[in-house]
Parts: sequence; structure tokens; C-alpha cells
Amino acid sequence: MAQAMRPQMMGARVSRTEDPRLLSGQARFLDDIQVPGMLEVAFVRSTHAAAKIVQMDLREVQQYPGVQAVLTYDDCPVQLWQREAYEVGQPVLAHHEVSYVGQPIAAIIADSRYVAEDAAELARVEYEDLPPVTDMRRAIEENPRRVHAHTPNVFFHKEYATPSVEQAFAQAPHHLRATFRTNRQTALSLEARGTAAMVDTATGRLTVYASTQSPHRLREDISGLLGIPTHQVRLIVPEVGGGFGMKANCYPEDIVVAKAALMCRKPVKWVSDRTESLLSDVHGRDDIHDVEVAFAEDGKIVALRDHLMADGGAYPAYPFSGAVGETSLASRVITGPYDIPHLATVIDCTYSNKMPLGAYRGVWGPVASFIQEGIVDRVARHLGMDPAQVRLRNIIQPHQFPYRNAAGMTYDEGSYQACLQQALELMDYEGFRKRQQELRQQERYVGLGISAFVEPTAMASSEAGSVGYESCTIQIDATGRVTAAFGLGPTGQGHETTMAQILADQLGVRFEDIIVLHGDTDSAPYGGGTGGSRSGPIGGGAALVAGRQMRERLVKYAASLLEAGEEDIELGDGKAWVAGVPERYISIRTIAETAYTNVTKIPEGLPIGLELTARYLPKSPRTFSNGTHIAIVEVDVSTGSVAVTGYGVVNDCGRLINPTIVEGQILGGVAQGIGAALLEALHYDESGQLVTTSLMDYLLPESTDMPRVMMRHLETPSDGEGGIKGMAEGSLIASPAAIANAVSDALAPFDAFVDTLPVTPEMILEMTRGELAR
Amino acid sequence: MKPAVFDYVRVNSLDEAIEALARYEGEAKVLAGGQSLVPLMNFRLSRPGVLVDINDLAEMAGVRDLGHALAIGSMTRHQQLVNNDFIRERLPILPRVASYIGHWAIRNRGTLGGSVAHADPAAELPALLTALQATIVMRSPRGERRLLAERFFLGYYSTRLDWDEIITEIEIPFPASSPGFYEVARRAGDFALVGALAERGTSGGFVTWFGLGGRPERMALPAWTAHEEERRQLLRELAGKLDLPSEEEYKRTIAVSVAGRAMADAEGGN
Repeated sequence: MAQAMRPQMMGARVSRTEDPRLLSGQARFLDDIQVPGMLEVAFVRSTHAAAKIVQMDLREVQQYPGVQAVLTYDDCPVQLWQREAYEVGQPVLAHHEVSYVGQPIAAIIADSRYVAEDAAELARVEYEDLPPVTDMRRAIEENPRRVHAHTPNVFFHKEYATPSVEQAFAQAPHHLRATFRTNRQTALSLEARGTAAMVDTATGRLTVYASTQSPHRLREDISGLLGIPTHQVRLIVPEVGGGFGMKANCYPEDIVVAKAALMCRKPVKWVSDRTESLLSDVHGRDDIHDVEVAFAEDGKIVALRDHLMADGGAYPAYPFSGAVGETSLASRVITGPYDIPHLATVIDCTYSNKMPLGAYRGVWGPVASFIQEGIVDRVARHLGMDPAQVRLRNIIQPHQFPYRNAAGMTYDEGSYQACLQQALELMDYEGFRKRQQELRQQERYVGLGISAFVEPTAMASSEAGSVGYESCTIQIDATGRVTAAFGLGPTGQGHETTMAQILADQLGVRFEDIIVLHGDTDSAPYGGGTGGSRSGPIGGGAALVAGRQMRERLVKYAASLLEAGEEDIELGDGKAWVAGVPERYISIRTIAETAYTNVTKIPEGLPIGLELTARYLPKSPRTFSNGTHIAIVEVDVSTGSVAVTGYGVVNDCGRLINPTIVEGQILGGVAQGIGAALLEALHYDESGQLVTTSLMDYLLPESTDMPRVMMRHLETPSDGEGGIKGMAEGSLIASPAAIANAVSDALAPFDAFVDTLPVTPEMILEMTRGELAR
Repeated sequence: MKPAVFDYVRVNSLDEAIEALARYEGEAKVLAGGQSLVPLMNFRLSRPGVLVDINDLAEMAGVRDLGHALAIGSMTRHQQLVNNDFIRERLPILPRVASYIGHWAIRNRGTLGGSVAHADPAAELPALLTALQATIVMRSPRGERRLLAERFFLGYYSTRLDWDEIITEIEIPFPASSPGFYEVARRAGDFALVGALAERGTSGGFVTWFGLGGRPERMALPAWTAHEEERRQLLRELAGKLDLPSEEEYKRTIAVSVAGRAMADAEGGN
């Protein structure tokens, strides 16, 4: 059998290895960790947005039957600081002062969660209220006060301008201004956060189980913050039911739980409930953009000004602030896939008395796309042009790659124009416009929204940290079976499938003979975890490099044992053979046996055994995926309801590892986009109370909200290993903008534009008031 | 999110249930389907000292034909309202409205009596019962008591049900003509943002709105017209009489549209 005829696993629609256990309820998540004698934690959390703690009486709590320990700041005086970047850090338990509702004040360690919650109710905390800082624009002006007395509310300010932006504005014949607002959301993973910690009494080592995306970094955080040598901490990540960036942080609860286990010398577990998750998982998307655009008569956009503001909450989330992440990268990619030569941006990130802002899938992207695509539609309507034509006029042309945008970011090659054109064709754009006119005659309002996006992936530094490389340790055992360990932190992406696909091709072993390991710092090589759409391109790249190195070793064995030239050896289906002479073969199993048990036959220069670790650092600091989403909606102007009735995606994430998994990622991002555009909002009232503390109030999209999604792939390879680009965020970067634009398009007869997400029935009614008053 | 400590009694007969409620003197709550009560307990917003579980009382579920009305046991599950052939034939509006309650799993557990006792102002069943002028039948140590739905529902989650009373049955009279129904919800299965039932009378008719204010409101429509602009004007005047909290003011417009559609639905004969 010739090698070329062998099916390539990479690029194939392989069913996910993870699915049988997940779909049959056999997967073991953090809350399934049960150890004899395990204690459980309930947190006393602040019910005030801003207050001095005058007095705290925990005597009744301590005396409550079944309570083993009560921790306050004095027992765990740790602050989540990143001193080089910010002037404040959050104490893991509040210290004399609370700064947001839901802030942990004390931890009750008890025989069970029931007991812990009963006891937590007995805590007497006396507050002296301070004026809550809840309005972003006022907070930037230091009103009504500073959140932290010793430092200004604006904790991140940055200005940037291209040299002749003022001139460009002055010379352009047309200008428009608009303000865009995105409301707070949170990732709301199906599995909430959780941490369990226990001390091995024999060795003194601390084992921490955590539902996290960043196993190695969390180990370092726990080690560093609690002053335990790193090798004394083992971090294990069980199955994780979703993270979406929200689980990339080190949270106060992680530290307190580890400390409690050390203090009590007993296993301790905390699992967030849904109310805690809405209160205390990092929030995202609390942004306001004041934008001005200058453009020519033919629809060519020449210049953009943007004042980017974000409400970062009470503290910078540790170890990075989502407000800085959302604004600083948005400011660098705010021109999206369009060739807009002039740009001026000002960033202000402010503190407030709200939950800290962290990462949520797409981070900056869904906000930036909402603005950039909203602007293109406004330009089109202002000029009476077709929005698709304005996009085609402005989109970066194929000959412009590598393209350096106005903010100085370099886009590697992509299929921007082709994706846009194909998406229009996929959704029968011309046919839709005709149908739209007909339906308007019947007073039915359908709209189509286009969202062309860029997605920087595989970044040297992201919310997953500043580990720009990834590692892969391959071990082939004496029977020829393979384990491959990564420093990734999958939360449902299917790495056990995709990484095995890549390795099967390289090693010539069967897919089912490879087991992918991750998430245990005792076995996984050091890595950056999962986040910032890095696992495919960087983790996959590490698999390719390690696989190739191991393949070379297997070829040397085969050549030596078959007495053939290395260049004549082919690998596949668990065997190595001489090209053209398939009966002259040796199984990988025999090679492995030789490597471990018949060491005298090991070819000269090769080590005993079949084990190696390889690391892959991409030569480019990032690679851009791209694509176009088109949403079709129908707006019921009498009730304010919006239904997403059609959806199409043309996506280019370089070389595909597994199209089925890529499509699953896209579908999930579209669903979350529907949530962002129409449903999900965390709402704080004027006193700083979070009023959306259950899934009755925080509305997630349901299966019935999802349209059928048509998907098409283009493949423009990156210059990295395997030509892979990341793709986990693009679908959520693009989808809110597509839906928002579709609603604006549907409401064009009312001359309305969506400028705030999510769009609620109340807002729709406001935008169409003219119609209803008649 | 764990409930506060409570005691639990599982009863074998209605008499036992009534006795248990009397014994705990207002400390007890009846556990039927638990679809509203249990979440409230988990949030510790409801803290009954005792739960009296009536799920074994099979005799409290089912349908009887009274000739002029259907008598439906309070323990009848929502999904049984949807599936029951007899109800589908004699009172088709009931299964249709019940199918809008939550999702299948919720309908499998939730009960008619539970929904009535909970009295969510945006729930479908209290609205339908108000529209059809159903009678709520209750039992206590003092015997049986009957109240028209309109009198039974007082406001937000509040009814005339006394602490020692159990809802046993609901009598729903057959309407002269089938009412029309329309509801807007943020998502399929959610409580209504605004809903309406419309019944055509001999001259005018009635509109029962829900999801607005504290309880379903049945209001007389002075005239019934198929002319869209006139209908809209009539409904606008009617909706103007609704007493709404300021944050629900925007719903008045939706109420007009929804009631108009319910009227159109009534004309279409469903």
C-alpha cells in the first residue's frame, strides 16, 4: 500500500473521542471528586456594592454544629496583585472594605455544603455604605468618588493616532458619529467554577483539583501566592464543562480553598452555584465606544476615531484585566477586514463597584465587530448605497497581504474578499433583497446583516498568558501504544481527538492507539493552557513537531531492522515497510519492544525507549483567521420580538484539522452571538446590586432560538506548522454584529439603527414608535 | 444554593394532608410538582418549616365531565392537560395554552393546582382560568370552599388560599365559543412577556391579559370588530386602564398587539 493512498487523519471528519463519555453522563467533573472526609465551603459574600466593614461577628458561625473552620482575611492575607501593571489588587477575602456585590468576605468550611450555607447565614457583618460607583462615564470623571482612594478610577489610558488622521477627517466630504454600547455578560459555562484541595500527609504535597483552562499557570499562582514551592503543588484538571476565557483566571476562591485545605489538613471542596457564578465569574463586554467616521462619496471609508471605554469592575481580575484586554486589542483591530488608512483611538478603563471584568470568548472581538460593522452599515445607509457594495469597496484586497492596518497590526494572508463574496452567494443576497421588498409591502420586516471579521489567533500573549509556545510529550510504550501529553487546558474543544489525528498521521499508528493526556501538572509538559484560540495552531504545531521527531526515530528503527535505507521506509496502520515492498514490514509494536526490551538491537545513536518532548513556538506572533457571517432576522414590530430565521458562515481558519469540530465551534459561537445580540445582560441597579442572579433573569439562548446554519470553509494556510490557524473565537466575534445589523436592516423603514446590545423588545418598540403611534 | 432546613411529610390521603397543614399551623407548604416551590426554597426565598408532599394522592389527578364544565383534579400534570384526549376534544383551548408552559420536563412535573396556588402573574393557566371564569375548589378542616378565579387571584404571587387549605379541583365551564390566545415570550417556554386571551361575546367580548402587573385581568370589550384600526383603537383604550408599574409601561403597546392577535385567533376558530 502506497503511503499516498493511506487516509490522512488530519482534515478528516473523525468522531470525537470525548463524546461517548460526555453524552452518556460518564465524564467526571470537579464536583465528582469525592474523597473521604472531604469538607465543603460556602462563602459569605458582600451584599453591598461599596461599604466599610465596621464590624464582623462570626461567633455564631463558628459555633454552628458541623462547622470546622471559618476563614477571614486575617487567616489568608493574600492579595491578587499584578504589581507591575496595576496599583490595586483584590484581597482574596475582603479586608475592612467591600467593593462589589458578591465579593467573598469569609469562607465557612463545614461537613457539608448544607451546613456551610446554614452557618453562613449567621454571619453578622455591619456595613457602612459608601456611594457606589456604577456609571462608567461618571466613573471616568472620578464621580461620585474614587473606587480606591489612593488611585484614580481610570487605571488604563492610552492614545494612538496615525500621522495625518486630522487632515483625513478635515478633507473627507462625509462624517458620521455614533455611540455603541455593549452590556455586561458572562461566559456562563454549563459547569460552574470549582476547586478542591487536599494535602498528601505522607509527602506534604498539596493537590489541587480545579476547573480551569490554565493548569500550569494556576499551579504557579497558588504556589506563588501561598508561598509553597511549585513542585510541592500538583494541579489536576478533571473534565471541564466549558470555560470560554472565564476559567483562565486565578480567582479568590481558588486561593482560599487551597489555604483551607492546608489549615484544616483535610480535603476541602467548593463548587460555585449558579447565583455565585453570575455574581462572581468574571464579567465581560462592559464597553462604550464613541465613534466618528469619515468617508468619501463612493463609500470609501478614510478615517476612524474611537474613544474606547470599559468598566473594569472593582479590581483588575487576576492576572489580567478584561477591560484592558477588551479595549487595547479592539483599538488595534477596530478597522477589521477593511482598508481604512487613518485611525485615532483613545482608551479609558475605569474601576467601578462591580464584578471585575475578565475574558469571555472573543474578548475584544465581539465589541469591535459590532462597531466596525455598524459603521459600515451607517455609511451605506447615509449614502443610499448597498451595504454589501460598501463592504466590497472597503475590504482588504488579495494583493494587499501581508496587510499592515492603521493600528500597525500585520494581517497574514486571508480570504477576506472571497469569504464575503461567497457568503453573499450562499445566502442568495440578491434574492433576499427582492423578498425583503415584497414582505415590506405586507408590513413584515425582515433584515439581513453582514459581518466580515478578522480573528487574531495563536498570539504570543493572550488571556492564556504569555507562554507563546506549546509542548507535546510522546511516549510509545513497549506494546506500541501511544500516550501524548500536552500543557493545554481543554474545556470541551475535543483536543483528545484533534491532537490524536495529527499524531496518527505522523507516527503511522492507528488513531485509537493514541491517548491524549492533559491537565495534570505531574504528567503534562509545561504549557500555556487553552485560551486565545491557541490550542489548534500552537498545540497542534507542537503535536506536529513532536510527531515528526518521533517519526524520524521510528524510521531509523525500521531501516535498521528491515535492513533498508531510511528514505525507503514508509509508516502507516501500525507498521513500517519498505516502499513498494509491503511484505517487507515490521510492526510499530515490534519496534517498541525492541526499543525497551531488546536494547542491543537499538540503532546506533538512538536512546533507549521511545519518549520525547518537543516544543513549538510559532515564528509569527499571531495568525489571522477570517470569514463572513450573514444573519437573517424577522422583527415583529408590534411586539418587539426578533427571530433569527437564517444564518450563513463562510469561514477560513487555515488548514482544518477536523471540519466537524470546527463546525461545532462555529455553531456554539453563533448561539452565544444570539445571546449577546438579543438576550444576555447582567444588570446592576443604581445602588450596585446585581439584579440578574438567576437564569430566570439572565437569559441564555435555547435550542429553539437557533436557526439552521449553513457553513462553508475556505483554507488559506498560515505560515506556521501545518498551516493551522486558530478559530475558536471568530464565530462569536462575528455573530452579534451580524444579528445587530440584520435588526437594523429590518428596521431601515423606521430609519433605526441598533446601537446597544442586547436588543430588547423594549428597545425595538422605541425604535419603531412612529409605526405604532399611527 | 441549598434550601434551609425543613421537615418532610408524605401523605396518603387528602384528609391526612389537611390534617398535616392544620397541625403545623401555617409552617407547612404543600409540595405538588415543585417546579416553582423547590427553586424558591433553593434560593432560600421560601423557607417552609415542613413540606407536605401530596404526590401520592392519585385521586387528585384526572378529569370529570360535569356537563356544563370540566372538573380537573389539582394534581393533574401540565403534560396531562396537553395530552388528554378528552380535554383535547371538549376544551381544546386548555391543551393549547398548557403547551406554552415551560418545557416538556417541567410540564411532566408541574401541576394545575401548583400553578394556581403559585399565581405567577405571567403564567398561562391562571390567565386561562380567569378568562373562562373557572372555579377553584379548596378543602380545609372547615370543609369545601369555592371561589371564582377572578376572586381567587389577588396580585403578585398572592391568592385567597388560606394556609390550611388545599386546592382539590378546578371547574372550567365550557365557553360558548372558543377563545383566542396569543402570547409573546423572550424565549420558547418562558413565562409570557405579555399574553392575552380573547372571548367573543354576543355584542362585545372580553380580553384577559397576563404578564402585565400583578395578576391576570379580564376586561370587557365594549364592541367586537374585525376592522383592524378600530380594533386597535378599542384595545388601546382598554389597555390604557391597566395599572402598570413604570418599568412595564412599554408593555402596554405589546398588550394591544397581542390582544388584537388573540381576537383574530378567536375569529379564525383556532
